[in-house]
Amino acid sequence: MNIVKDLYSYRELLKTNIKKDVGGKYKNSFLGVIWSFISPLLQIAVYALVFQVILKSDIENYTVYLCCGLIPWQYFSSVVLRGAASIIDNGSIIKKVYFPREILPISVVTSEGVNFLISTVIILGFVIFGGIGLSINILWYFVILAIQYIVSIGVAFIVSSLSVYFRDLLHLLGIIIQLLFYATPIVYASSAVPAELQWLIKINPMAYLIEGYRNIFYNKMPPDTHSLLIALAMGIGLCIVGYFVFKKLEKRFAEEF
Amino acid sequence: MQENQEEDRIIVEHVYKSFNIYMDKANSLKEKLLFWNRNKKEKREVLKDINLTIKNGEAVGLIGVNGSGKSTLLKLMTKIIYPNQGKITTNGKLTSLLELGAGFHPDFSGRENIYFNASIFGLTRKKIDERIDKIIEFSELGSYIDNPVRTYSSGMYMRLAFAVAINVDADILLVDEVLAVGDQHFQDKCIAKMKELKEEGKTMVFVTHSLSTVKDFCNRAIWLSNGEIKMDGEPDTVIDRYLEEIK
Repeated sequence: MNIVKDLYSYRELLKTNIKKDVGGKYKNSFLGVIWSFISPLLQIAVYALVFQVILKSDIENYTVYLCCGLIPWQYFSSVVLRGAASIIDNGSIIKKVYFPREILPISVVTSEGVNFLISTVIILGFVIFGGIGLSINILWYFVILAIQYIVSIGVAFIVSSLSVYFRDLLHLLGIIIQLLFYATPIVYASSAVPAELQWLIKINPMAYLIEGYRNIFYNKMPPDTHSLLIALAMGIGLCIVGYFVFKKLEKRFAEEF
Repeated sequence: MQENQEEDRIIVEHVYKSFNIYMDKANSLKEKLLFWNRNKKEKREVLKDINLTIKNGEAVGLIGVNGSGKSTLLKLMTKIIYPNQGKITTNGKLTSLLELGAGFHPDFSGRENIYFNASIFGLTRKKIDERIDKIIEFSELGSYIDNPVRTYSSGMYMRLAFAVAINVDADILLVDEVLAVGDQHFQDKCIAKMKELKEEGKTMVFVTHSLSTVKDFCNRAIWLSNGEIKMDGEPDTVIDRYLEEIK
């Protein structure tokens, strides 16, 4: 595999890029890394208000339930949105010097992964102080995260390279992500979805993953390994397709800027 | 490198490159749908059936009038762009200096940019640590090295970019008309350093309009004209013919 060799010899660039992404995100903002906590907390507050207080969801401990799905979803949505822009934003460098272009989407996925690790503190906080407590099953977290990482890499390969040629995709993705948010059981339970629409959840890798996070944090039980394997298979599929798309399209990146 | 002096560093086989020239490019989907007929494009062949082999230790000057395809050929060698047909193989570590401040981040200091830039050329942190003093010294930036790069003058930019590019210990150095910036003193220093690298057996290709530099420095000159190799050989002979032609 050439990509592995390439990434290894350019590991310093990958590291610098990830560090730049993680540290640089809030570099010029007053509250800095606190934003990593404020924005998800505010979102949780809003959704909890709408679905628990106003729409009276019958899910027990709704805020905790919500939080277990929302935080991983935010990781996914920033991977899609920032990943899509990762090549375009670096057009000036791509035009001037060669380096493995894969580094750009990969470092977005990785640095957002680090941010997600930090935000997981929020889930832990809700679980502990929301009266649910912890179980040994949370060790599965790392397995689920690894699968989400694989899914994210595949998606990032596809959106980052396509958006170079179709700049509209950047705007379109904002809407698509919002639709996907409601198509994924985050604010509601998957059992509430009518039978004829269940297929929507079955083809969505994020649905399996969020189910997994919810099992280990909210239900304090091990995740359904069968579901995780399906998500893993989808992730590997996305990576293979994504890599081919990326490799095909990267040849003309420099000519598009 | 001593053991494989005869190694071919760059092999260009039957390379064609053309660009699509859009008269009025539709960039977004809306424009593509609304103005589909506006999307007329013209194919411009920039390189036609280029074949050449550059051996280890050669210093090659690419000459030709503007628009003859010199820079495109150099970009193809760096893998920034890819040929439409044909194949380019490079053996060994390659570094390039195509435009001013290739990939500098304006808000980072000169020192941070050295790390960033050198890592783009594939150096590990340890290797950069070893070289950083040499790079700073060569750039003659002194205490400015810790200022953000956006505060630099274009000469300082060039000095930093050049200092990084020639200190990353590459086997192949590709340079595109950048020596024109910088004062005489720094230009001389660069030429001296490049001669030193040539002595060490590094391979170099550069695009330039300064024929005297080619005569003085290169041991091979390639003259490109309308995307084809018009002549390839001893710098003196090639340059004489070239001067005759463009008179």
